[in-house]
Amino acid sequence: MSIFDSHEITPEALFSARRQFLKLGAGALVSASALSNLMASMPLDKALRYVPSTNPHGLVLNTLEQASNYVNFYEFSTDKEAPVKLSAKMKTSPWDVDFLGEIEKKEMLEVDELISLFGLEERIYRFRCVEGWSMVVPWIGFPLSKLVDYLQPNSKAKYVKFTTRYDPSMFPDQSKGIFASIKYPYVEGLRMDEAMNPLSFIAVGMYGKRLLPQNGAPIRLVVPWKYGFKSIKSIDNIEFVEEEPKNTWQVQNPKEYGFYANVNPSVDHPRWTQAKERVLGKFGKQNTLSFNGYEKEVGHLYAGMDLRKFF
Amino acid sequence: MIWMGVIIAFLPLAWVGYGLENAIDPIKSLYSVSGMSAIILLLLSLLPSTCKRLCGYNLLRYRRPLGLLAFCYALLHILVFIILDAEGDIAFVVRESLKKPFVFIGMSAFLILLGMAFTSTKRLFKRFAKYHQAVYGAVILAVTHAFWAQKVAGIFEYMLVFSAIIFLSERLIFRMKNL
Repeated sequence: MSIFDSHEITPEALFSARRQFLKLGAGALVSASALSNLMASMPLDKALRYVPSTNPHGLVLNTLEQASNYVNFYEFSTDKEAPVKLSAKMKTSPWDVDFLGEIEKKEMLEVDELISLFGLEERIYRFRCVEGWSMVVPWIGFPLSKLVDYLQPNSKAKYVKFTTRYDPSMFPDQSKGIFASIKYPYVEGLRMDEAMNPLSFIAVGMYGKRLLPQNGAPIRLVVPWKYGFKSIKSIDNIEFVEEEPKNTWQVQNPKEYGFYANVNPSVDHPRWTQAKERVLGKFGKQNTLSFNGYEKEVGHLYAGMDLRKFF
Repeated sequence: MIWMGVIIAFLPLAWVGYGLENAIDPIKSLYSVSGMSAIILLLLSLLPSTCKRLCGYNLLRYRRPLGLLAFCYALLHILVFIILDAEGDIAFVVRESLKKPFVFIGMSAFLILLGMAFTSTKRLFKRFAKYHQAVYGAVILAVTHAFWAQKVAGIFEYMLVFSAIIFLSERLIFRMKNL
């Protein structure tokens, strides 16, 4: 793994964009049609411009190879690697996200519109799966709070409910009816104050590029202090509601998965311990931190709550 | 013939060992491969006597090697738990085994196989053969453990359950006929 300070390196996106620009200049000399051809061929993943993270927690990144080849995306398969191939042809652009419920601005916005509305920044976060593995990922996106502010929720909006797209032609497991591995569409939720916490993040990219399909393209949630299943992928709509939404894993197995799903080394999953974690790519294990290392930032949200009961 | 079988049975081990250096989640892949191999071999060890009863082929000489191979993989599975996952913390292993039903049934299945492996020599088998019926308990425990190990069971786990039901009910029917 490279240990350059991320500031010292020209991001791959910028580097390639520069080259593309030079090509464009040359192209202009040739003809206007050649120019438009080149623009059309400009890869989508080079288009991200963002403010790099200063990596305030000094985390060591996992590689893109690890983060993109070990995923849970049951809409494709329950296998960790199979979604990579199964999602290769997933059409992620254009992609409209619907905003519903107790808000002023009920509208539908395309992912690129959201990007131009809120700008992009990088966040280097720990990611801890309820299964006991973890990684560190540089996400690119915008704070969820910016989106919530823009949508202007009313006083009835107590929770935010996220739903993954339901499209059996896109997601093979959704077309299996009663033989599907879980109930679809996948649903997740946050309490309003959780959604407004500065750490809650909407990602459209990682490692300098657009999200790969298997990582939840084109737009997903990232809530770093909660188990990974809260960070819902390929979002179809976001609804502001009064009642606590029933999230998919809680419906699937209420004894094992709750609404909150905060990373907590002292509350075990009924089948396995949560005290330690396997960092992807490593043989050894490391201690899991309370709220995944973000206790200072989010601990106050749960003051006075029995975290054994609200797991 | 038996040796070729043994070599084939160790192929999964070679495969996981070869890929281990670049494995994204090495402990998990060791767990999966050792567990799946153990349970498949354990189910296969039920085949020879069924086969003899149903189609008359005598494959009984393969029963012991299959059982021992299943035991080897189960042992590897337990070692991954103790050495890699629990990092040698025996107190933790004991605590988890007693506290978590999922670990408890897996550990129980292993202890049955351990006893059977110890008494599988010709001399000891004569004395302990009747206790080897405990293998049915081990099969039920191991299949439940495998089923439970997943967040949601997939086709592999359903196939395990299906094969276990076939093998066990064939024996039940055979015994009822011969009462």
